[in-house]
Amino acid sequence: MPVSDIFRPLVMLALVGLAAILVSVSVGSADLGPGDTLSVLAGGGSELHRTLILDLRLPRTLSAFATGGLLAVAGALMQVLLRNPLADPYVLGLSGGAAVGALLAMLAGAAGFLISGSAFAGAMLATLLVFGLAHGSGSWTPSRLLLTGVVVAAGWGAMITLILAMSPASRLPGMLYWLMGDLSHAGQPWPGLAVLILVCLLVFPLGRSLNVLARGSLQAAALGVSVRSLEWLIYLVASLLTATAVTMAGAVGFVGLVVPHMLRLALGNDQRMILPACALAGGTLLVLADTLARVVIAPEQLPVGVITALIGVPTFLYLLYRSR
Amino acid sequence: MRAIRLLITVVAVLGLALTASVSAADLCATDALDRNVCLPEPADRVASLSPGATELLFSAGAGDSVVAVSAWSDYPPPAAELPQVGDSNRLDLETIVGLEPDLVVAWTDGNSRAQLDRLADLGVPVFWLAPRKFEDIARAVEILGRLTGHMPVAERAAADFRTGISALRAKYRDSAPVRVFYQVWGQPLMTINGDELISKAITLCGGTNVFADLPRLVPRISVETVLAADPEVIVTAGRGDSDHDWLARWQNYPSVTAVARGNLSLVSPSLLQRPTFRMLEGARELCDILEQARARL
Repeated sequence: MPVSDIFRPLVMLALVGLAAILVSVSVGSADLGPGDTLSVLAGGGSELHRTLILDLRLPRTLSAFATGGLLAVAGALMQVLLRNPLADPYVLGLSGGAAVGALLAMLAGAAGFLISGSAFAGAMLATLLVFGLAHGSGSWTPSRLLLTGVVVAAGWGAMITLILAMSPASRLPGMLYWLMGDLSHAGQPWPGLAVLILVCLLVFPLGRSLNVLARGSLQAAALGVSVRSLEWLIYLVASLLTATAVTMAGAVGFVGLVVPHMLRLALGNDQRMILPACALAGGTLLVLADTLARVVIAPEQLPVGVITALIGVPTFLYLLYRSR
Repeated sequence: MRAIRLLITVVAVLGLALTASVSAADLCATDALDRNVCLPEPADRVASLSPGATELLFSAGAGDSVVAVSAWSDYPPPAAELPQVGDSNRLDLETIVGLEPDLVVAWTDGNSRAQLDRLADLGVPVFWLAPRKFEDIARAVEILGRLTGHMPVAERAAADFRTGISALRAKYRDSAPVRVFYQVWGQPLMTINGDELISKAITLCGGTNVFADLPRLVPRISVETVLAADPEVIVTAGRGDSDHDWLARWQNYPSVTAVARGNLSLVSPSLLQRPTFRMLEGARELCDILEQARARL
């Protein structure tokens, strides 16, 4: 595939993403006209309008974009790594570890940075645990990694249920919103965006190797790809992406599963294109979903995870139906 | 035809049963679920299934009759010493039945209907409370006083409460209205609508809850909505130490009148959260806060 064919869809996706960001910062429960939004973006506007758009909506929108992009790229990588179309960023129990970390912090009465720090630590612990257990002695295969991850994920699930059952009722809403994925507590978007851009630059040169790996490890080895080290690299990169995403927004579901599939159905399965396209399309989807979550029953708020599932499921089913 | 005859028979039998039980007992009261609860004699083994119910029972003078409480029943202090029968939404039915209570006091927000219907099926009288107004609190105490045979104490306590509330109402009736945002929780950000008792306390003090018209009792809102509503006072009770963070966060938004005028206040966490007689004390504190805020506007 010539390079210009890769770039054309990416430019299109980038433009759509930009439009989504503009829509997201111009709507909300406070009533601002498009004129007000434009004047704030141009550097003017009243103090209240500047606060609303620059301090509240813009960081949240960028956080949504980063989270969606991170999850979609992580999902695409996991699907290549495990050679399993049902793989998503959470399949190996990473969100479970993060959730246990975050929920324990909330149970102890922590707030803000302590919760996200604890979630990141939990995610890293889950990553190392699965890595250590699947590595073990003897042969190593993606299916062994998958099984280990799924069983560890079930263990995290049990611990989450236990924590929820032991928590006083007043703490439950915060915990449930975290579990459903919610962007209201996302802090600064910059770390997430930086990780997303860095990883996209890092995996782009690996695109050809990933394309070969997606066809099977034997074939990849025969073609001179160092399969074992490539697979561990993918695992670690995907884990870092997912950990960054859940630290920002909790366990937002569905983006990581559905976006890579949607793009493959539309653009073909060339990882050099799919991975950056996932970053753009995942970000766009989550920005739009979060905008809906903010305005559907405004001034009340919904957790964004509800919206991603409600949008994602029918879209995915439609694409599958059409592609028969 | 047969169905109708059957129906008439059933209604007749039910009616007979009802009049029979009413006439056999002198102690009857209608609870929050519109059920008529009758006791053969004043209850002296009472299980309280929510912290609020525990407080009301003690206010009614029935503290000595309480044999079991739900978790978090921490007021008045003797209540914390009583045996606990589980969290209000996950009760240990076995222990409750084992304590052989002759009255169980339940709370519609928190206790599970399914669990307590099991208790009722076992023949334990269950009385449901759901105070939504100040008058409901006073009446609940009177009823509990009657059901436990402490009528004089309960009546006196209820009268004191009513007097206190009317005194506040009279005092602040003509005060300048202030727009109040009451923050229930910081993360996620939650407030209350006009049906919540705390909102009624705000009204009592001459304040206006800026989110009184939202449809849900405890709506979850965004910072943006608060900025747009531009409250003149922000009040939170929350959970103690970390509340200072919740209030400090608003300092980032000086365009809000409450922030510009320094009207960010903390009320005692334990006084307003439960619909009990301690609300009077909480309401007095809230009224003082609003009065000080008026001076700064």
